[in-house]
Amino acid sequence: MDVRGEFSSEREINRIVDVGESPEFIEEKIISLAQAKPKGISDKDISAEIPDLAPARKAAAINKLLAQGYFDLFKQGGTLLYRLKDPSKAKSVKGADNEEKVVYNIIEEAGNKGIWIRDIRFKSNLMPTQLNKILKSLETKKFIKAVKSVAASKKKVYMLYNLEPDRSVTGGAWYQDQDFEAEFVDILNQQCYRFLEQKKDSTKNCKDGPIGARNIAFASSKEVWKFISDLGISKVKLSVEDLEMILNTLIYDGKVERTLSSDGSNLYRAVEPLLSPPGLIRTPCGVCPVRKNCCDVGEITPKKCHYIKEWLE
Amino acid sequence: MSIYLCKLCSVLLLEHFGPVVQTVGDDLLKYDRRSLRAIKAAVNLPLNKIKEVMCVLIKYGFVEHSKNDKLNEYIIVHERILMILRYPRYMFFVKSLLGDEAEIMLEELLRRGYETASKIIVKTYQRLKQLSSDRQQPVEILKEKFESLVKHQFLMRSIITPAALEDPIDLNVEKLDFSFPDLNLLALSRMANGIAANPGDNNIYWRINFDRFTQDIRDQIMVSAITKRFDDNAGELMRQMLNLMYLRTAEWRATSNPIPYVEIKDAVRKLKYPMLIQHLDQYLCLIEEDTCQFLKRVGDSGGGQFSINMKQAFTQLTWTTLENIVLERFGSKAARIFRLVRTRKYVEQEQIQQLAMIPAKEAKHLTYTLLQENYIHVQELKKTTVSNAPTKIFFLFHIDLDQVVGMEISHCYHALYNTIQRRDHENTVNKRMIEKHLRVQTLTSNLKEHGATEEQLNDIAEMMTPSEKLELGKVQDIIKKLGASELQIDETLFLLTMYSRYQEK
Ligand code: SF4
Repeated sequence: MDVRGEFSSEREINRIVDVGESPEFIEEKIISLAQAKPKGISDKDISAEIPDLAPARKAAAINKLLAQGYFDLFKQGGTLLYRLKDPSKAKSVKGADNEEKVVYNIIEEAGNKGIWIRDIRFKSNLMPTQLNKILKSLETKKFIKAVKSVAASKKKVYMLYNLEPDRSVTGGAWYQDQDFEAEFVDILNQQCYRFLEQKKDSTKNCKDGPIGARNIAFASSKEVWKFISDLGISKVKLSVEDLEMILNTLIYDGKVERTLSSDGSNLYRAVEPLLSPPGLIRTPCGVCPVRKNCCDVGEITPKKCHYIKEWLE
Repeated sequence: MSIYLCKLCSVLLLEHFGPVVQTVGDDLLKYDRRSLRAIKAAVNLPLNKIKEVMCVLIKYGFVEHSKNDKLNEYIIVHERILMILRYPRYMFFVKSLLGDEAEIMLEELLRRGYETASKIIVKTYQRLKQLSSDRQQPVEILKEKFESLVKHQFLMRSIITPAALEDPIDLNVEKLDFSFPDLNLLALSRMANGIAANPGDNNIYWRINFDRFTQDIRDQIMVSAITKRFDDNAGELMRQMLNLMYLRTAEWRATSNPIPYVEIKDAVRKLKYPMLIQHLDQYLCLIEEDTCQFLKRVGDSGGGQFSINMKQAFTQLTWTTLENIVLERFGSKAARIFRLVRTRKYVEQEQIQQLAMIPAKEAKHLTYTLLQENYIHVQELKKTTVSNAPTKIFFLFHIDLDQVVGMEISHCYHALYNTIQRRDHENTVNKRMIEKHLRVQTLTSNLKEHGATEEQLNDIAEMMTPSEKLELGKVQDIIKKLGASELQIDETLFLLTMYSRYQEK
């Protein structure tokens, strides 16, 4: 079962649960009921919450929870009441010792972005060996999972078992098994540019003056997305946002500019650079990899220079 | 101060003025400002020789003289020495604007430092006569040419004259003076034909107004940038706006005073650009809305007021230049990272690879290459999250534009220095052959003047063997190519210098 985290707070769902569920599930519900009533719950409350629960199973569940130290048992006006000992601890995992609970909570806090083992260690103050053991145990119990992050190849992050890892961890459409598909990105980058460039070229004969021509040259990200989808070069389904990421790389390449349209969507347009390549880099010394070491005397000098020699030929 | 700036200046002085001037120049370059006595103590030359060199340096404007209290000091002007690199451009500029005769006049003045109008006109007359008889122009025409050079403010009255050199004056008081004296045309044509006469401008000396050329090259860069970005119409509009700027704004202000729409329209109407006239509003709007930010709309009265943002324009042009340099040196992915850091201002490594969509390893490698080569910079940010946790350190990448420009300017110096060294070397290695070629040439032209026969001329020409001719062609090619490289590097240097100049204000 991996639904615990969500169900504990959603009492609605409790009612529709099939009581044939596993004992753990019944325990969960009892805990959540007790959370809702911090003053304590009676046997009756439990029966009202889970009407179809057989008494024997109910008793077994309560006994187990008591044994695990979740509840204080006390009498009030002739009825037995169960009260949660410590709400924060009760939220955590059954069948786990205190350290496990601490670690679990830390991981839960991290959400679907996950948390790196080193950070768990700092937050929990546990020894590395001990922490490793706890993580292993939580993992085998399927409370948590380790996900490889794309941010760093050897970095694993932990998150709750049932969570869908965040894009920042998986990398989204651009990753396959943690491998960044650079070629795919490059091709999309080129194709997007081709599309925008064609659009710009088509304005050459525009009769409405330069502003009109400029406005025609703009394409929304949706248009670009449609063009790419129609090309059929992508195995995976790309979203408009995915393509905006690609379009952004074109902006960083200095080939495209973005404006916001009146309806708030992004518009893109191919632009001409302000300058042709500067003179400096058209000369050997301008792009020379060893210029720093090039002086009047020594191994590398302008007189002996091979770069210039090659360039002259 | 970059050591390569000094080396470059030194080698330029050597190339154009010889080793003695270089020796004195080197000493001045080392200290920026020196008194005569200090120079005398440092260099192994007699005092009158040093004084002579000083006169040359002052005459051309490479050195300025400053007199305060008792101290007579000489200050070296690096920028002026670097302008030697731009002479070909100045000449080309004048030639395309005012024609061949004006070019020759400019060349003569560049060679002499200062001169009277009459002497330049006479010299030009003689040079044209030598070139060919159909290029011959009467002195009246030449005088007009000279006047138009002055009218365009390419030339100005020189405060430095032979008399002034005798008794050094404080040259900081120089005012721009473009008033042209009356010249006796009759005397001029007598002089042109070798008869002594008084043209009436003794002691009125002219020299080149280099700042005017600097402005023109600056403007030209902006016009061609706009032309490249948009089209010829937009480029022409930019040119007109710049012309209008001069009417109301000092040359080096960061932004021009507002230019009213009506005036722009009037200026454009006089041109033969039908599309521009038809769509003037649109073109103004186009340039104004563009990210390059050359133009700014500063008011709405009378159809709009526009101001040219010179400082901003050169900041943008500088960015583009640097991006291109990074592109060429480290590849397109590095250029992407460079631009990304530029747009984001401060950015973490992780964001770089995500936004640039470059594999983590490659992105890191490129980022660190750029860091190492000083194109981007890093700032540490320490942050403690939990009291007992170790301080977290963030590394934020950013670009210190001034620093990168400074570095790139000294790259230009270095590259120029090296290229000149190489050209020098090629000249030295092939000295014998080049000199022989020169001898043959002088001989030929001498003989021609004395009416030698075809046969005689052929004989002379054959003094160079075919293999020598072939070899000579190669060497000349090499020297030409290296010379062209120098001009190209200077183009970049000029643009970056413009950026710095506007930053300083
Ligand atoms: S001379 Fe040769 S080695 Fe030296 S900087 Fe130029 S290209 Fe590089």
